[in-house]
Amino acid sequence: MKADTSQFPELDKTKFEQRGTEFKLGIPVTNAVTVGNSIAVGFGDGTVRIFTSGKSSEPIKAHKGIVLCISKDGDNILTGGDDGRFLKISLDGKISEIGNFGTRWVDHVTANNGSLVCSSGNIVYLWSPNHKEPKLFEHNSTIGGIAFDAKGRRLAVSRYGGVTLWKKDYSNKWNSSELNWKGSHNKVIFSPDGKYLVTSMQENQLHFWRLKDKIDSAMSGYGAKIKSFAFVDDSKYLATSGAKEAVCWPFDGDGPVGREPICLPYVGNKLVTFVEPFPNENAILTGLSDGSVFLSEIEKASNTIIIRSFTEFEVSAIAVTKDCSHLLIGDMGGNILWTSIWDEEKK
Amino acid sequence: MEETNKQVPVTVLTGFLGAGKTTLLNRILTEQHGKKYAVIVNEFGEQGIDNDLVVDADEEVFEMNNGCICCTVRGDLIRILSGLMKRADKLDAIIVETTGLADPAPVAQTFFVDQDVADRTKLDAIVTVADAVHLSTQLTDHHEAEEQIAFADVVLLNKIDLVDESGLEIVKERIKKINPFAKVINTTKCGVSLNEILNLDAFSLKRVLDVEPDFLTSDHDHEHDDDVTSLSFVSDTPLDMEKFQDWFSKLLQTKGQDILRTKGILDFTGESDRYVFQGVHMLMDASPMGKWPEGKERSSRLVFIGRNLESMNLKEGFENCKSA
Repeated sequence: MKADTSQFPELDKTKFEQRGTEFKLGIPVTNAVTVGNSIAVGFGDGTVRIFTSGKSSEPIKAHKGIVLCISKDGDNILTGGDDGRFLKISLDGKISEIGNFGTRWVDHVTANNGSLVCSSGNIVYLWSPNHKEPKLFEHNSTIGGIAFDAKGRRLAVSRYGGVTLWKKDYSNKWNSSELNWKGSHNKVIFSPDGKYLVTSMQENQLHFWRLKDKIDSAMSGYGAKIKSFAFVDDSKYLATSGAKEAVCWPFDGDGPVGREPICLPYVGNKLVTFVEPFPNENAILTGLSDGSVFLSEIEKASNTIIIRSFTEFEVSAIAVTKDCSHLLIGDMGGNILWTSIWDEEKK
Repeated sequence: MEETNKQVPVTVLTGFLGAGKTTLLNRILTEQHGKKYAVIVNEFGEQGIDNDLVVDADEEVFEMNNGCICCTVRGDLIRILSGLMKRADKLDAIIVETTGLADPAPVAQTFFVDQDVADRTKLDAIVTVADAVHLSTQLTDHHEAEEQIAFADVVLLNKIDLVDESGLEIVKERIKKINPFAKVINTTKCGVSLNEILNLDAFSLKRVLDVEPDFLTSDHDHEHDDDVTSLSFVSDTPLDMEKFQDWFSKLLQTKGQDILRTKGILDFTGESDRYVFQGVHMLMDASPMGKWPEGKERSSRLVFIGRNLESMNLKEGFENCKSA
């Protein structure tokens, strides 16, 4: 997605751009994940790069074509690719293959308490620690997303027609129940407090279930597909992309039903393509279709600062290190900004 | 579906099992040296595709949750095409091979419905490989065979060496009756020049202007109600835009399931531009396409391909749209 830059005046570099390092790699950034105080980035040529303060980042040839998904397991990076491989990569770049599905893509990866999980087609594969063979969870259609709850006892698998919720009982047996809603469900997440499950859909809307009573509802009104959404400040807000504002739904109290979202506007009137919660704050980093990135306080939109000015390419990854010292921004044009968040003297 | 150079063309290969899809696919892949293709195949497909970028798909047909019952899309294509667009190296084209029994409508509709897919790729053409020996029987026995012919921009009538001349004529007439627009190419072993099947841009509105249907004046005696046929209308009297929109939108809403494809060039009263549209079931791509050429007669042309067309009072409906 290329933005029309003619309407923008030449902007000076932001203080983060001046302070940080910009990489113009020309390879689409597909995703990123925080691994401690490092950030691992997946690219559209199958490589992964690891950014750590004070270290250089060399490309690690992980997949043949595209890094489709990225996650972490402790200090290791997990990736899935269009070469059908599910990989574990250590921070020093050592690759081990967990699974290989040939011409079938590995669409989603995650981990929980040492178990490594991926999905390919309509099956979720779970490798328990010290088990060579994975356990298979089969579904009736291709999987749109997978997510564990914070405690790791529930695994949500979104699919066509709703979500299958797998629950581990105390004898470590997995039982499934279905949450149905017509249409195709993509990414799925639990709220950090475990009370809600949210999916984005093929239609321009989100769907949520309140798990204690299975009450569900749609969150609609978006102009585009919602590719990025995340809970902020524990579970107080759900920040979402897909509109020209960052739309933040209230999930405290009884949830969002009958309540209005807070909409954070940005200059330039561009589509929000990525949202990332700022750790431990009621604030989000918002990436737009023109490459610009802002940091906003949800309840005080006037406290918005620009982190990166436009690059013409949609923001496809934002991540903050665990110690909140650095952040990384990536876009579909292969531009990366890696910068410290605070002034040196404030450190 | 706006056209830009950045959109990667997608060619859809349909046809019954054994018609020669894989033969054609391998010809494309071996003859186009130096080009980068992605090939999306289905798990029931014939084996032996010689390409380093082959993606396995499941042909998952999704209903869109938008209240439109015939609006189905290929969920797997949305996922795979969106993924392929993140590749660092640019693809020259994408080829989607469907199973023998696939309905091409959800494939075509995917390019209308999903914005990400429409932004970055474009449906180039639907190429149907048909077996000259067995097509007649397949058309009688399977709805899907009729649909594959109805949606085709090109029909590769393969294995013509195995039928005699009269047999070939019968098959060709059958194809023309279902779809007067499809270009029929006779082949043995899919021997066709690749520029007749690739980069055709058949779904662009500009190409609708070139369409000169090969009308047949065959009798309608032997038709069953659910046979796929086509009907065309021409009017030299300008149409009333409001009346037309009213009639046409109601028609698609109520009969969209039976209407497989529509194409038209319209002359509206008081409008200096030609209006061009093309549709798949209820979905429509329409736009003014510049002024009418100087010195040429202005006229409206409208074509339907579908089932039960006789029951829709199409002629009457179209006549009523003429400006008084």
